[in-house]
Amino acid sequence: MATLTDSRKRELRRELETVVSPGAVLSDPDELLVYESDGLTLFRALADFVVFPTSAEQVAAIVKLANRESLPFVARGAGTGLSGGCLPAEGGIVISLMRMNRILEIDYDNLLAVVEPGLVNLHLSWAVGPRGYYYAPDPSSQQACTIGGNIANNSGGPHTLKYGVTVNHILGLEVVMPDGEIVWLGGKTRESQGYDLTGVFVGSEGTFGIATKAIVRILRKPQAVKTVLAVFERIEQASGAVSAIIARGLVPAAVEMIDHLTIQAVEDAFGCGYPRDAAAALLVELDGLTVGMEAQAERISEACRDNGAREVRTARDEAERQLLWKGRKSAFGAYGRISPAYMVMDGVIPRTKLPYVLGRVNEIVATHGLRVGNVFHAGDGNLHPNILYDPRTPGEEARVVAAGAEIMKLCAAVGGSISGEHGIGLEKTDFMPFIFSATDLTFMQRLKSAFNPTGRCNPGKVFPTRKSCGEAGPVAYRPHPIEEKGLAQRF
Amino acid sequence: MEAALLDKLRAIVGPANVLTGVDLSPYVVEGRTPEAAVFPGSVEEARSVVEVAGAAGMPIVPWGGGTAASVGTPARRAGLVVGLARLARLIEHEPGDLTVTVEAGMTVAALQSALRARGQWLSLDPADPERATIGGVIAANASGPRRHLYGTARDLLIGVTVVTGEGAIVRGGGKVVKNVAGYDVPKLFAGSYGTLGILVEVTLKLRPAPDAERLVSVGFDRLKDAGAAARAVTASDLIPNALDLLDAEAGRALGLAAAPALVVGFDGLLEQVEWQCAELTRLTAPLGGHRIETLSPDTWSRLVTAARSAFDAPAALMKLAVLPAAVAETMEQGANAARQRGLGTAWSGHAGIGVLYAALASPPESPEPGPIATVLGEWRALARAGGGHAVLEAAPLAVKAHVPVWDDPGAAERIMQRIKAQLDPLNILNPGRFVAGI
Repeated sequence: MATLTDSRKRELRRELETVVSPGAVLSDPDELLVYESDGLTLFRALADFVVFPTSAEQVAAIVKLANRESLPFVARGAGTGLSGGCLPAEGGIVISLMRMNRILEIDYDNLLAVVEPGLVNLHLSWAVGPRGYYYAPDPSSQQACTIGGNIANNSGGPHTLKYGVTVNHILGLEVVMPDGEIVWLGGKTRESQGYDLTGVFVGSEGTFGIATKAIVRILRKPQAVKTVLAVFERIEQASGAVSAIIARGLVPAAVEMIDHLTIQAVEDAFGCGYPRDAAAALLVELDGLTVGMEAQAERISEACRDNGAREVRTARDEAERQLLWKGRKSAFGAYGRISPAYMVMDGVIPRTKLPYVLGRVNEIVATHGLRVGNVFHAGDGNLHPNILYDPRTPGEEARVVAAGAEIMKLCAAVGGSISGEHGIGLEKTDFMPFIFSATDLTFMQRLKSAFNPTGRCNPGKVFPTRKSCGEAGPVAYRPHPIEEKGLAQRF
Repeated sequence: MEAALLDKLRAIVGPANVLTGVDLSPYVVEGRTPEAAVFPGSVEEARSVVEVAGAAGMPIVPWGGGTAASVGTPARRAGLVVGLARLARLIEHEPGDLTVTVEAGMTVAALQSALRARGQWLSLDPADPERATIGGVIAANASGPRRHLYGTARDLLIGVTVVTGEGAIVRGGGKVVKNVAGYDVPKLFAGSYGTLGILVEVTLKLRPAPDAERLVSVGFDRLKDAGAAARAVTASDLIPNALDLLDAEAGRALGLAAAPALVVGFDGLLEQVEWQCAELTRLTAPLGGHRIETLSPDTWSRLVTAARSAFDAPAALMKLAVLPAAVAETMEQGANAARQRGLGTAWSGHAGIGVLYAALASPPESPEPGPIATVLGEWRALARAGGGHAVLEAAPLAVKAHVPVWDDPGAAERIMQRIKAQLDPLNILNPGRFVAGI
């Protein structure tokens, strides 16, 4: 851990200010607090500086300065991550990319756009929307999260079932390497030669360098969209319906599951039209050609009814469709109505193991004396159990963490993974051995060394660590630092 | 090869699974005979083979179906072929999960037929599926016309088991369709040409087999018009699974009624396929489209080799990556460059993706490498001018001596070399064959 004297810190601040501008460097502890956490407030770590560059050259200069001073550095987007991936685990410099948020080029003929990393995900779809195009990856935080953060985490979202995750939509990246060199990986063409550096950079959680420009694919909006809601008396029926839909030769754009507890919360909060007494609901979305849409929706309905759905209905219009999606997308917020706090888990299992795993998840959480709500991407087996708890009750949070670890073990045991979209970050480093051998991890460490030989670029992430890093370890629940300061509140 | 090393290899895999001498004929590449060929029957045997070869400093050439064996810079030393023919089992296919795990030596055709029997398919359609193996297709990043909608190996590969050059068994990725735990190691192996490890097992994403599929060809008088039609399709509501552009020569070789042509594939429900075919006619007619014909299903697998099949013995094959909107123009300019030197060409390409396949005819008289090399250099310059690159996929050694197989990867070269140095520190896997001297 780097320790800087106050006078050295003042000198470095002045030097950073000459790289960016006087208004683009923070080093006052009160200001730094905002950057102490991401969306997972369980972890926190304080930077020495937060810097706001506006160009790749400025990022490169900051990185070179950090190297000269042997200071660690980490890139940060909107801070909506859920694994502590952008925290300055060992102090040093947080490089915020929020001022690099321009769309540099849109090329409709070649279906691509060149953007800066601080661009908010949804803003890209807004920009190309009027011409009938959109950017496909749609994480639930897409109104706030940035393309750069999506690249670091290889973010997914409900519609990745059909359209793939972030990596399937990135063609090329301008990257400031951990030594400060600016390099292009990939480019505008759909194929690049040599190793797939773009592919391996995406999802490297900020440990391979800092992306300063991205060439992304844009897609034409589908001609038609249809959303089906299927309601079940038992959760196993809903799980069975997911497999049945796939087995009947359909790949919907999205298949989302919402369980009983979550339906209650959502109905309390928003009244989206889900039946309160249902054990589970499936939200299935089809998109594509208008021709054949009815026939496909009928096939979906059949698969659901054959698996015991008591009710299957199709959104009559865009307003009803939006309402149904609101229930899904606002579920996390709705838990606030029924619990003082919750912690979202992220694991993946083979789709066919859903009935067994959901049952076991409920058992595990009950064993720890807690409640769980499930709202997740059932179509690709990406679970999001949300464990509800009260942080004011002593020991309750420790039980949440323990239950979380058991759920991850369960995912690993059935042939799944410990993260589908939130990443390893700081949160899950010690779970990596659940799915990777020491040899596998060494191989990945060596790959990291090829990009980041000094380890100064986002240290403490992804790999299991023997030493825990001071403030970076899990601590008892606290609100986000800016909530504590009364500067913001949680919705 | 030293007798001691041969003995060790025979002890690992059994004498019947080590080939030497005249038995090596099928493994001769560009006139070079490997020192031996060995066929492990298990992952553990593969690991032992690599360990023993590595200790002896013997370069290793991983070998699937051999369909891409001559792609690359000629190796300094022929080395030891490690064949995957005995690692060809289907390990696990759970239709409800839409995933399959197979040993890397299984052929594409064998896998597809097993999957079709259960209503699914791997959306990857390289040439020569009867010979090409899954591992080889991934390593060579081979693809076919359906990549237009479904992508390439990188988009489908979710898990790998590899034997590294140091004889370690490493797993990357996993068996689930969505997974961000750790680095995306499988991505690294797609298109790595056997330089980072021997793929022994892979897990892939699958798709349900569509109800219906159809391939149609639309003829044009001018290539330029076919290119404009391709752009019109891209900007329309149609969702083709293939969108290939063929010049007159490649079109003729494929047996099309009219060429230049746009060859378009559709899949889905029957009514969707039919609606799209009708819409394609409506869309392309004002742009000069005519002679629309439905092609036989066997045309699919011949599309990607249409250009090379225009000549009995092409002098060279080049694959160019350009921007999709520049496909027709690049084809025309490339053909002109060859014509100016009296050489014939044939071109086909994925118009929505921007990947072109060009074949150059052999000069009628003494095959001097000079004009061939000049044309290939000009083709490469064409690709580079548009921000792309070109790979010389096949050419006589005399031509390869003048034209590098791989393009200049720019500043990324250093990263690729460091990856190679980190992951294959003995430099034992296909040394010297790949980009940047890797």
